[in-house]
Amino acid sequence: MITKAGSFDGLLARGVNLFERWREQGDAEIYADLPSNDARPVTAFLRDNGCRLAAVFAEDRTAAESRYNLYYVFEHPHDRRYLLVRAPVPSDHAAFPSLAVEIPAVNWQEREIQDWFGLVAENHPNPRRVALHDNWPDVHPLRKSFPIDTVLPPFEGERHVYRPTLGEGVFQIPVGPVHAGIIEPGHFNFAVAGEPILYLQLRMFYVHKGIEKRFEQLPVHRAVFLAESISGDSSFSHGAAFCQAIEQAAGVEIPEHAARIRTILLELERMYNHVGDIGAIATDVGFVIANAHASRLRELILRLNEELTGSRLLRGMICPGGVRWNWYPDQIEECVRVLKIFDREFEDLMGIIETSDSTRDRLERTGILDPDKARDLGVVGVAGRASGIDRDVRRDHPYAAYGSVTIEVPVYQEGDVLRRMHVRVDEIRQSLNVIRAVESGLRPGPHCVTMPPLPPDRCALGAVEGWRGEILHWIRTGPGNQLERCKIKDPSLNNWPALVEAVQGNIVPDFPVINKSFNLSYSGTDR
Amino acid sequence: MTERALALLAQIAIVLFLSPLITGFSRTLKARLQMRRGAGILQPYWDIHKLLRKGMVIPETASWIFSATPYVLFVTTLLAGLLIPTVSAQAPLSLYGGVLAVVYLLALGRFFLALGGLDTGSSFGGLGSSREMTISAIAEPALMLAVFTVALSAGSTNLSVVAQASLGQSWRFLAPQQMLAFAALFIVLIAETGRIPVDNPATHLELTMIHEAMILEYSGPYLALIEWSAAMKQLVLMTLLVNVFFPFGLSIGWSMGTLLSLVLFGLKLLLLAAAVVLVETTNAKMRLFRVPELLAVAFVLSATALISTFLF
Repeated sequence: MITKAGSFDGLLARGVNLFERWREQGDAEIYADLPSNDARPVTAFLRDNGCRLAAVFAEDRTAAESRYNLYYVFEHPHDRRYLLVRAPVPSDHAAFPSLAVEIPAVNWQEREIQDWFGLVAENHPNPRRVALHDNWPDVHPLRKSFPIDTVLPPFEGERHVYRPTLGEGVFQIPVGPVHAGIIEPGHFNFAVAGEPILYLQLRMFYVHKGIEKRFEQLPVHRAVFLAESISGDSSFSHGAAFCQAIEQAAGVEIPEHAARIRTILLELERMYNHVGDIGAIATDVGFVIANAHASRLRELILRLNEELTGSRLLRGMICPGGVRWNWYPDQIEECVRVLKIFDREFEDLMGIIETSDSTRDRLERTGILDPDKARDLGVVGVAGRASGIDRDVRRDHPYAAYGSVTIEVPVYQEGDVLRRMHVRVDEIRQSLNVIRAVESGLRPGPHCVTMPPLPPDRCALGAVEGWRGEILHWIRTGPGNQLERCKIKDPSLNNWPALVEAVQGNIVPDFPVINKSFNLSYSGTDR
Repeated sequence: MTERALALLAQIAIVLFLSPLITGFSRTLKARLQMRRGAGILQPYWDIHKLLRKGMVIPETASWIFSATPYVLFVTTLLAGLLIPTVSAQAPLSLYGGVLAVVYLLALGRFFLALGGLDTGSSFGGLGSSREMTISAIAEPALMLAVFTVALSAGSTNLSVVAQASLGQSWRFLAPQQMLAFAALFIVLIAETGRIPVDNPATHLELTMIHEAMILEYSGPYLALIEWSAAMKQLVLMTLLVNVFFPFGLSIGWSMGTLLSLVLFGLKLLLLAAAVVLVETTNAKMRLFRVPELLAVAFVLSATALISTFLF
C-alpha cells in the first residue's frame, strides 16, 4: 500500500511554494506548473527526495501562449505516476538555466532543446551542438515557424573539434562513422596509450531524420507506422508507447484481450533481441559456436512473430485502441509449442556458455559501469539493472497486462559485461513465465475498440519498458486528429554517454564486446 | 640433375597448391561444427583466383614498401616451404639452409608485412603491426627452442637430417622432451597462423584484429598474394610439426612410393588441422594481454624440453 509520504502527493504538499499549481491527470500523470523557467530548486528538492529525472524536453507554444514550455519528467521510487513539471520560457527571452552540472543525465537532452528549439541552456558546461552537427546553418527545425518542407542549401560550416590527444605515446584512433558490418553510423574517437583506452569521444546524430517534426504532419492512424520505425528492433515497444499515449489522450481503455496480446508481443520482442545479443556478445569474444545456436533460437522467435503478426519484426500489428487483428486458436497453440522448444534449447545454450571458462574470463570485470556513475548519467534498462539501478517500467508503471503478473527485476551491482549478459538471461527466463501466465488467461474477446476522434489540446505520456529500457512518448494533440507535438525518448539516448564511462581503462580489442553488451540504437538516438 | 629439378618442381607444386586446401578444409570443418554448411573446401582457390583478376586500390600515402611487401612475403614463405621435407625426407633446398633459415625467412616476411601495415598511416594497420610484433617476439624464441630440442637429438639443424633421424626410430615422439617440444610448437602454430584463442581470422571488428588489421588496405592481386602466403605459412608450420615429430611414411628420395607418402602426408595435415579447429571451436578468444602468457607457456615448455634432452 502506497503511503502519502511515499508518493508524489506528499512531496507536492511539502514543496507547495515551489509550484504555481498542479493537477492530476488520469491515474498515470501529474502536471505541475512552475512560475518561471528556473527548474533548479524543484529539481534539487525532488532529487533529494529520491526522485529520478527521466527526461527533459520542450514544446513550441508561441502561437497559442507566446511562450515555449519545458517539461521535466520525474519518477518516484514508490509512485506509479509520472510527474511532469512544466516550466514556461517566454518567447522574447528564449533561454533557461541548465541543470547539466547537477544532473549529467540531461546533458544531451538540454543540448537537443538548444539545437531544435533555439532555447539557450544557460551555464551549460558543454553547450556545443549535438543533434544538429556543427556545420548546420543556424536553424531550429522543431519551432513551428520552421516549415517541414524547407530545403536548406548545401552547407559547409564549422568542423567538429575533438578534445586534443596529447602526451608521449598517446594516439588517436578514429573509428567510423561508417563501420564494417551492417550497423548505423556513429563516430568513435579513442585516445589510447598503447592498447589501454584513456578516453573515448562519441559523436552521434549522423542520421537525424526529423521524426518528431514529421509526427506533427501526420493523422494519428498513420503516425503509428512512423512510431514503429523509430528504432527497427523495438518496433512494437515504440508502437505500444505511442498508442498508449494516444489512448490516454482520448480517454480510451483497451480491451483486456488486446492488453494480453500486446504483452505477449512485447515479451517476444524482448526475447528475440536478448537472445540475439547473447549470441553477439559470444561472437565478439570469438566464441562462435554459442552464436550459431543463439542465432538459431532468435530465428525461431522471428518465425513465430511472423506466424502471429505477419511480420518478423512485429510491425503493423499494434493500433490505437488495441491490436489490428485477433488470433486463431491454432496460432496460440503454435506460440506455446515454439516457446516450449525455445525454453529447452535456451537452457542448452546457457549450458554451453556457462561452462566455457575462456568466455567468462573475457566477460567478467570487462567494461565496468560503476553504479554511482550509472545513477548520475540516468542509465536505464538492461545496462542500468546490471549497475544496481532497480527500475523497470513493467513493474513500476504497469501497462498492458503487466498489472496481472509479478515482475521480478534482476539487479546486479558489478556492472560489467558479464552482468549485462546475465540481466538478459534472467529476463528471457522471466519473459517465458510472463507469456505463460498471460497466455493461460487468454479468453476470446474483442481485440480492439473503435477510437473516437482525438480531443484537441490534450497531453499524455506513454511509457513502455522496451528490451533496451524505458521508452517514453509524450504527445500534445492538435485539431483534426493530428498531433501538435510528439516527443520520443529512446533509452539509447541516456545510455550512450555511459558507454564512454564503461570503456575507460579497458583495452582497445575489448571495446566491441563492451559496446555489444550495451547494444544501443543509433536510429533511436538520432530520430 | 633432372631428378633434383623435378623434386624441386614437385615440392613447389605441393607448397603452392596444397596450402589453400588445408585452409579450406579448416574453414569447412569449423562451419560444420557450428551447424553451418560453409562455403566449401575449394573456396580459398576461388578467392585467390578472383582476387588475382581484380583491380587494386593503393592508398595515396603508401610508399614502395606497400607494393614490395606482398612479393617479399610470398617469396620468403615459398622458400621456407622448400627447406622443409614434405613427402620426401629430402627437402629440395635443404643443402642451402636448416631450421634457422626457415625461422628467419618467415621472420623477414613478417617484418615486411608489419611495415606494410604501418606504411599507409592508417591507425588500424599500426594497431595490427604492433600487436603482431608483440606476439611474434615471444612466439619466435619458443619456436626456436622447440626445434633445437629435436635438432639436438638428431645432431643437426638441417631439417632433412632431422626427419631422417626420426624416421629411423619412429616411436621416438613418446620421449618426454619430444612431447614437450610438440606441445610448445602446437601453441606457436596457433599463434603464428592467427587462430582463436590468439586471433580471430573470421572477425569483421577492426579493433580486435591482429593479422587482418595489417592487411586491411590491401586489395586485388596483392591481397591474393598475402592470403596465399598466409595459407603457405600455415602449411609450412604444420609440416614442421607433422614431419619432424611423426615422420611415418616419408619416402627417401623421390620415386613412385612418393605418391603413397603424399597421401599419408595429406592425412597427417588434415588431422592436425582438425585438432586446431577443435581448439578454435571450444574456446573463446583470449584477452589480448593474456596472449603473451599463453606464449610464455609455450616458451617454458620448449625450454623444459631442451633441458630434458640432457636428462634423458
